[in-house]
Amino acid sequence: MSAPADILTCADLAIGHGQVVVMDRLSFSLAAGKILAVVGPSGCGKSTLMRALGGLDEPLGGRSTLMGVDLHATHGEERAAILRRTGFLFQGAALFSSLTLRENIEMPMREFLAAPRKEIRQLAEYKLSLVGLADAMDKLPSEISGGMAKRAGIARAMALDPDLIFLDEPSAGLDPMSSGRLDELILRLREAFGTTVVLVSHEVPSILRTADFCVYLDPDTGTMGAYGSPKSFLQAGNSPKAHAFFTQARID
Amino acid sequence: MNILSPKYLTIRMSQAPTGSPFARTEVLADGTALVTIGGSWTLDQPLPAIVTKGDRVRVVTEGLADFDSSLPAWLYANFKNVRQLDLSPLPPRLQSLVQIAEKASSEQAVPEQTGFLEKFGNWGVESSSSWGRAFEHIGDTASGFLRMLVGRAKVNWGDFTLQLQTAGVDALPIVALLGFLTGLIMAYVGLIQLRQVGATVYVANLVSLAMTREMGALMTGVIACGRTSTAFASQLGSMNVSQETDALRALGLHPVEYLALPRILAVTLMVPLLAVFATFVGIFGGMVVACAGDLSIEQYLTQAIRAISFKSFLVGFIKSIAFGFIAGWAGCYRGSVAKRSALGVGEAATSAAVLGITFIVIADAVFAVIFNLFDL
Ligand SMILES: Nc1ncnc2c1ncn2[C@@H]1O[C@H](COP(=O)(O)OP(=O)(O)OP(=O)(O)O)[C@@H](O)[C@H]1O
Ligand SMILES: [Mg+2]
Repeated sequence: MSAPADILTCADLAIGHGQVVVMDRLSFSLAAGKILAVVGPSGCGKSTLMRALGGLDEPLGGRSTLMGVDLHATHGEERAAILRRTGFLFQGAALFSSLTLRENIEMPMREFLAAPRKEIRQLAEYKLSLVGLADAMDKLPSEISGGMAKRAGIARAMALDPDLIFLDEPSAGLDPMSSGRLDELILRLREAFGTTVVLVSHEVPSILRTADFCVYLDPDTGTMGAYGSPKSFLQAGNSPKAHAFFTQARID
Repeated sequence: MNILSPKYLTIRMSQAPTGSPFARTEVLADGTALVTIGGSWTLDQPLPAIVTKGDRVRVVTEGLADFDSSLPAWLYANFKNVRQLDLSPLPPRLQSLVQIAEKASSEQAVPEQTGFLEKFGNWGVESSSSWGRAFEHIGDTASGFLRMLVGRAKVNWGDFTLQLQTAGVDALPIVALLGFLTGLIMAYVGLIQLRQVGATVYVANLVSLAMTREMGALMTGVIACGRTSTAFASQLGSMNVSQETDALRALGLHPVEYLALPRILAVTLMVPLLAVFATFVGIFGGMVVACAGDLSIEQYLTQAIRAISFKSFLVGFIKSIAFGFIAGWAGCYRGSVAKRSALGVGEAATSAAVLGITFIVIADAVFAVIFNLFDL
């Protein structure tokens, strides 16, 4: 393989809802196969940033690219092809309420894979087992717990073996054990398939374990406060706010 | 930049495909099944099927090219119940993807085929329990109404005024149109018959009596089922889905009192008014046809007024109150028992309309018998 290229870039990006700018002057990039954690206080715009990077919302200014393509200037089949190679876990899981968990995971596979039913079924069962839901495959989203819904959402985001996966608070609502298993899963997927991951998390230990880079969104300045390796956030001097965010959350 | 530039291709496409996936089994002297896998494993091509016996399996590779998650999924599906599974000859990244998948604690139960009689029995049990719930809902509504009268129920009066508007005032155009056409059609059909006996003047009696006693209330009730019951069912049903009903309950509010009561009251109030309106518009519709050739306006009106007694007016009015209640109740009831899914909300709306219209027609028949007994 050639030198890892930037699978995700954004330059002077401004994000928000309608006319309201939530964050602007965002510039960073992420090489393929790396794991980026987006951190910041509640309501600072992390989910908004994920949606904009994933091409779900129009940016209010600037530019972002996914796999070398500016999604907001791309349409039709080319755009769909890029979106198909990304997976997205929404903060509220957003499972299809009328489908069982298995059917939720099978749905994208049936639409986009040519494989026969039996193999799709095996694949869906495997993906659900990866997130520890082997016993709940035939339940409806209304019959499972919040943490289970999160995990099912992760399995659906992984359904098509995406190159890049966005996870909005994957470990929220999970116990420390499941959360640890999830970190493990993310690392193993990266190792096996070179999957790039962008995730939102509030759990500093988990960020330190998984992430290569970390971007801190600062609501006071309305832009990114710091960008760097999570370990650099632990040292004072880099960015006082990001430092405080990281050290406050540590149990010591 | 070209999206197909190689650096963005996944592992599964980054190497030239080296033939389709294969798997072979042989049994070793010690009884271990030796499974050899190789080739390029992607979901774009059929995966091999294998049969292994025994609970000792060792998997080795032979010219394994690239793979996507179909390979770990295949290994997981085929060997998850094998007691001694030796994956050590596999590449570590593949091993780890099989091991991290958690095993189901029990085999997934395959849904049993139910026979005809069982289905019939289930249907009986289900429908009797749903009848129970239906009556419970009516009871809740009634007791909520009584509690409201003594000022002990918390009712969302904002919803009440909103529904007076949407279920009442906003329905005027469609009620006017359908009422007008009903009167018109009745006059038209009536005239054809009455001309043969030279009694065309009685078309006024026919239309005005039918509109006051029967059609005004019935048409309005059916319109309320189509417009309002379905709206109620989907409103309450989607509140069920997003757990808003639970949030109300957690606040100590009774969903039937807080949500259903104002809606049912609003419709029960508005349908009679709409029915009176429909009656007059219908009589006017009949006049348009009758006075186009057969009668003068004066003749028609005199006959019409003579035909309608206070009794028949009362009959129509009582009916329309009942129909309004049925339409409102059907919507709220079906909404409150809707399944928690997008599909469930749709089903609730459909069944609300069906339930409402069915009950309205049944009630109409019951009223016919009762009024006949009391000579109204
Ligand atoms: N659909 C929307 N329409 C308008 N404004 C919105 C919408 N969603 C979010 N916002 C606003 O955008 C800002 C950022 O919201 P966002 O959901 O991105 O926060 P967040 O960082 O993900 O928070 P949390 O950690 O609580 O999930 C908030 O101020 C919020 O009020
Ligand atoms: Mg968020």
